[in-house]
Amino acid sequence: MSLVNITLIIYIIASIAYIVREIWRSAGTKWVSLGFLILAFCFNLTMVATRSIEAGHPPFSNLYESLVFYACCTAFIYIIFEFTYNFRVVGALASVLAMLILFYATLQDDTIRPIMPALKSNWMLIHVVTYMLGYAAFGISFVTSIIYLVVKPFVRKGEAVQAEREILPRNFDKLSYKIVAFGFPFLTLGMITGAVWAKKAWGDYWSWDPKETWSLITWLAYLVYLHTPLVLPKMNINKSKASVILSIWLLVAFGIVNFTFMGLSYLPSAADSEHIYGSK
Amino acid sequence: MKAETKNDIKQINKGQTNQYERKGSSNKVWDFFCSVKLAVVIILVLVLACIIGTVILQEKTFDEYVARYGYGLATFFKITQLNNVFYSYWFSVLLVLLCANLICCTIKRWRNTFLQTGFILTHLSLVLILIGGVVKFQLGVKGGVNVYEGKSVNYFLTQKIDSKGKLDYVKKDLPFTIALDDFILEKNEPKFQLVSYVKNKDRQKVLEVKLGKRQRVPGSDYKVTVKDYVPDAELKQEPVNLSDKPDNPAIFVKFFGSEKVAAEGWLLAYDRNSYEDKKQNIRIEYILLSSQQELDKAVNSAETANAQLSVSLSGQTQDYPLDLNKVFKFEGTDYTVKMLQYVHNYGDRRPLGEQPTDNPAVQVEINGPEGVETRWVFEKFPDWDKMHPAKYKNLKITCSGIASTYMAKNTLRIYQTPEGKQVLVYIKDKRIVETMPWELEKRYTIPDTGNQVEVSSYFPSFDFKKEVIKKSDEVVMPAILAEVEGPGGKVEDWIFSGNQYATWYTDNNFALVYESTGESVKHFTSKLRIEENGQTVAEKTIRVNDPLKHKGYVIYQSSYDPEAGTFSGLQIVKDPGIPVVYSGFGALCFGVVFIFYIKPFLRKKLKKEVEE
Ligand code: HEM
Repeated sequence: MSLVNITLIIYIIASIAYIVREIWRSAGTKWVSLGFLILAFCFNLTMVATRSIEAGHPPFSNLYESLVFYACCTAFIYIIFEFTYNFRVVGALASVLAMLILFYATLQDDTIRPIMPALKSNWMLIHVVTYMLGYAAFGISFVTSIIYLVVKPFVRKGEAVQAEREILPRNFDKLSYKIVAFGFPFLTLGMITGAVWAKKAWGDYWSWDPKETWSLITWLAYLVYLHTPLVLPKMNINKSKASVILSIWLLVAFGIVNFTFMGLSYLPSAADSEHIYGSK
Repeated sequence: MKAETKNDIKQINKGQTNQYERKGSSNKVWDFFCSVKLAVVIILVLVLACIIGTVILQEKTFDEYVARYGYGLATFFKITQLNNVFYSYWFSVLLVLLCANLICCTIKRWRNTFLQTGFILTHLSLVLILIGGVVKFQLGVKGGVNVYEGKSVNYFLTQKIDSKGKLDYVKKDLPFTIALDDFILEKNEPKFQLVSYVKNKDRQKVLEVKLGKRQRVPGSDYKVTVKDYVPDAELKQEPVNLSDKPDNPAIFVKFFGSEKVAAEGWLLAYDRNSYEDKKQNIRIEYILLSSQQELDKAVNSAETANAQLSVSLSGQTQDYPLDLNKVFKFEGTDYTVKMLQYVHNYGDRRPLGEQPTDNPAVQVEINGPEGVETRWVFEKFPDWDKMHPAKYKNLKITCSGIASTYMAKNTLRIYQTPEGKQVLVYIKDKRIVETMPWELEKRYTIPDTGNQVEVSSYFPSFDFKKEVIKKSDEVVMPAILAEVEGPGGKVEDWIFSGNQYATWYTDNNFALVYESTGESVKHFTSKLRIEENGQTVAEKTIRVNDPLKHKGYVIYQSSYDPEAGTFSGLQIVKDPGIPVVYSGFGALCFGVVFIFYIKPFLRKKLKKEVEE
């Protein structure tokens, strides 16, 4: 069996283990599920590494390579969060998300092609790595927002909040905010290093190319998310409604992330762009 | 940014918070420009503008808009500047508003505490970046110029859409001269890939070329094993005789013109059974007959072979004589066929009589239940249609004897029967001149011409032994030996990278192509020299990602002449706003890291100290 298939299967096992852990709630299951996810992450990382060696360049030169790396980052960021915060359900969906991204990668053309001169730069390395870490964090915030929106209708008002150390799904709105706050600097760094790289390679740090424009849109979408908590209270919107609005906004924003990443070839302006996967 | 944060800060920085409430709370305009509400609204409008700017094509000529969207919309775009969103007046107004908002809110919230560093830096950095952008727009230039090797330029061209919506080039002078001393184009080693194609799934997949590895073709039951690889291969086809059974009889004929061999080659009874020499005006045919009776009939006839078209459908075959524009019905079906034209050498534009008989073909029009299909039928490539799209794929059409529509003045027929009767007939001007028996390795003189002919070998079961030889170790014309397993069993075949056509598996549903992925450019560099008043003042070899800077101008390697590789495309940029923008970039990076990583960390620490 190929490395990809093994990795995919371990992601699925990890996901199941997280669900089991949610039901059983015993301390031992924590390490089982986390262990599987870490294992899947290691396999995924091996894929990135072997590809990098085989191709002889950093493994982000086409959609296939970027997706494999994206899946890897998603697992990585989740694992960091699991060590930082104490939550469980998220793991099941995070593994599924990583698995889906990797599966989507397998549908792409995985031919190794020589990379074009403009891509040979250290700025490109920082640019892609920071972007992918940012995207991965937003993926996790997407998951926590879904869980929040699903759980929300079942939470009775005024119900006493358990004094456990673990974060409950009903408080995932705050958790989402923390995760976005973690990812946003990465997105910002990704955008700026991208601009600096473009300046070095093409002579202009910003030329309103569709890829640039959409990464700005993504950045602005999360910027809105970060500023709205300051606005909503002034607009007579109560706290619980505000949380729902913000969570829905995160779902939309993650949609924008993925469009920026993979959907730009559907734009009429894609043909002119140097940036877009699949247009050449 | 969150409510609790404010409280923390208030707690920690007692005595300073009042400042933030005091400032201008009575002024409505001031409040408006300070509000986050405005910020959010502006950002959302910007998002919308950006989306429009990528959905509608930008900065095209007016004609292109008319062609794409129609005159009405094109005019609308022009008036609203939706054809140039990012440089439009309304977009500029948005950015000015954004700037005002950023400055006002920063002033309003300004407190001299360390924890505010991030907030101030991020907001002001955006102002800096926008100011830098304005400087670039007002004072910057960006253009390009192509320089030939050994030549120099002292100008460049910028592109612009003029007020009439037409593309315009503007020439800009440089305060120095750029000389291109040398241009080097480095290419990657050519790369090849093995592509599989499953027809009924319409799926293409690139397979690994790894010796001995059995690979499943995803989504199908085919398996491919690459058994051998030769980087620089040449195909040698050696004729061999497989057995004494006459299943593919062939003779080797030598044709002598005044003692010297003028032509020689194999004639196959069932395939390529004639040779035509237009210079000598002679045609040599090899005809296998099944019985003595047929032979007797044939040797007494000077008739030419009949040109005909054969059509088969589910095991049933019907033959039609070559008769242009006559509609023939395929009895028992709904199909009719009509021959539109024929040629002796497909693709040859010369008149029919001057064409060599290299690739005879007939163009056929088929009328069936699904309408009309027109296709070319090739005499020498009876399976051509298998590999190419056709509407009536189940209808197999072949043709034969097309070349004989051209009758050489002289024809030499070499007859043979399974019983071993061998007769030579010489026909001149459609009349039989001579008939005689022939034997192997004996020369016969053709009357009146002084030419001679000899059949030097006879292979009853002729075949080619394919042999691949390695010419060198360099990757020039690689070939692989691929084994395909599928419903029709195991089949092995050599696949050459130079092959135009796919290699099909026996079921005609699976094909392999070994193709070049295109030569791609590895590096291109230009050795540039800057001259002022005839003196060299700077020199550098530039490449993508490594430009030359001189007097505020930056010269980038941007393209090259794709055909001859003799000129270098340079991009020339001047942007005095760069220092401002880059300081903005730096401040923004530090600012976000401060807000989201350093500040929470410091706050936690401070809180702990306060508690203690
Ligand atoms: C990287 C970009 C940005 C970051 C990281 C950022 C961050 C922040 C933070 C942390 C605050 C709250 C300050 C506090 O609580 O003391 C804030 C407030 C504010 N931001 Fe931003 N901001 C950014 C961009 C913008 C932009 C583009 C605008 C649009 C004009 C904007 C408008 C505002 C306004 C008006 C406030 C004041 C809120 C108030 O007075 O209550 N910010 N921002």
